[in-house]
Amino acid sequence: MKGLLPVLLVMSGHVFAQDSARDWLDEMSSALQTLDYDGIFVYLHDDKLEAMRIIHRMDPGGQRERLVSLTGSAREVLRDDKSVTCIMPDNKSVMIGQSRPRQPFPVVPRDLDSVSPYYALEDVGDDRMAGHTARVIAITPRDSFRYGYRFWIDKNTRMLLKSDMTGVDGKPIEQVMFTRLVIGTDIPADDLQPSLTGDGYAWHRQEDIHRSADNSVSGEPGWAVAKLPDGFRLTDFQHKRMREGRGDAEHMVFTDGLATVSVYVEQSSAERPGFIGLSSMGAMNAYRAMLDGSQVTVVGEVPAATVEMIATSVERRAEQPHD
Amino acid sequence: MDKLNEQLSALVDDELGEPEQPLLLGQLARDDGLRDRLARYQVISDALHSELPHRIDTGFYKRVHAALEQEAEIHAAFPSRMKTLFRPLTGLALAASVAVVAVLSLQSVRQQEKAGGPVIASAPGVNDYIRAGNTPVPVAQRNNARGLDVYLVNHNEYAANRGMQGMLPYVRIVGQDLQPDSSEDAE
Repeated sequence: MKGLLPVLLVMSGHVFAQDSARDWLDEMSSALQTLDYDGIFVYLHDDKLEAMRIIHRMDPGGQRERLVSLTGSAREVLRDDKSVTCIMPDNKSVMIGQSRPRQPFPVVPRDLDSVSPYYALEDVGDDRMAGHTARVIAITPRDSFRYGYRFWIDKNTRMLLKSDMTGVDGKPIEQVMFTRLVIGTDIPADDLQPSLTGDGYAWHRQEDIHRSADNSVSGEPGWAVAKLPDGFRLTDFQHKRMREGRGDAEHMVFTDGLATVSVYVEQSSAERPGFIGLSSMGAMNAYRAMLDGSQVTVVGEVPAATVEMIATSVERRAEQPHD
Repeated sequence: MDKLNEQLSALVDDELGEPEQPLLLGQLARDDGLRDRLARYQVISDALHSELPHRIDTGFYKRVHAALEQEAEIHAAFPSRMKTLFRPLTGLALAASVAVVAVLSLQSVRQQEKAGGPVIASAPGVNDYIRAGNTPVPVAQRNNARGLDVYLVNHNEYAANRGMQGMLPYVRIVGQDLQPDSSEDAE
């Protein structure tokens, strides 16, 4: 019995630390979604550094956001509760997709037990971020199929000040850090308008073709993934048109509760299907393979080995017998 | 390229050694892309120092160019406030020590929000920024993700909903220069 007490204390401390970490992440998520803010941040990836500005306003009708590059190509992303618009002057194109309703607290699953076999949550404690006290929360994967996260959360406002995404070796592969952040300011409507008109650009619209009322899995996919890392499960399935004039694509979404992977399978109509094999952008990896005349594209914020394993294990689902 | 980036960074930091200056300045005089890159480094340097002016001066490189014609006075072309910072990007990690995070808000934003009260900032806004360095990133710096943008945009809505970072997945789209897929665009 004497030996049991320390064990129980350690266990209760561990549970408390996880609960505390989740609370911090919940509050950070809430702050990111509900506060009005206007910030400048730097984004470090692949040994490149970019500066961007983000403007976020919570209107009675929902969230409105605008993200604009201050360096490199003058790209902009505008998002509200109905659509996402990406303006890409380097490609002379505008892409419009449907936004998906965000949950009030989407960051951390309420059912922590569902992710605990795959991640460890840790309240690391306080750290100083250039004069501000931040709480550091770490999420560490328990295997090499997913990435880790580390957040610096302002203790006063609960806003995210800095985030690292860490590779399987624990080293940062992608970092975002605010260098200026104005919270609660009155955001003029003009600041949420694009600075580019898109005149003369090619406009592309993505659309869901068959969508269930609750945005959940609709119908049965014609394809299946034979090798998924433990913990990943199918959460969304839709037919959609990725570009106008193209055929339907099957889109399957898999998640382990934190990391998300998309699998797109579509008829390959182009003579050149673009890239084949692996492509990476910071923490985002993509793998494209050809299968029976179809193009399989897997995209996700997971290690390269994970997207490759998933892409190369896609197979046509066997016909289900009909009654 | 790494050496050139290092020299540009040192130039922004006002730390480029005198023996290296003539060659780099000569290259800047001949290369529009290099001047744009210098302006881009300047913006990032300012962002890290939280010294972004209300309007980013896109004429920065023009001043450099003008200064080239008066090489003896070149140091006058670079503001003295550019100290430290932009060492070569390779191996760079974002550390609090290199940046001043300016979180400007009422101290009780959270409490007021919980109480349903107004959320008002007393801080000046960051309006009217315009961009610098509008030249597309050279092909050599681009990744090989041809035609991937449509998938990234679509995937991001799912990742943002279930994942960790809200709007931040879109940072990759804004911050990456993806090559358009001409085969797809041609359809």
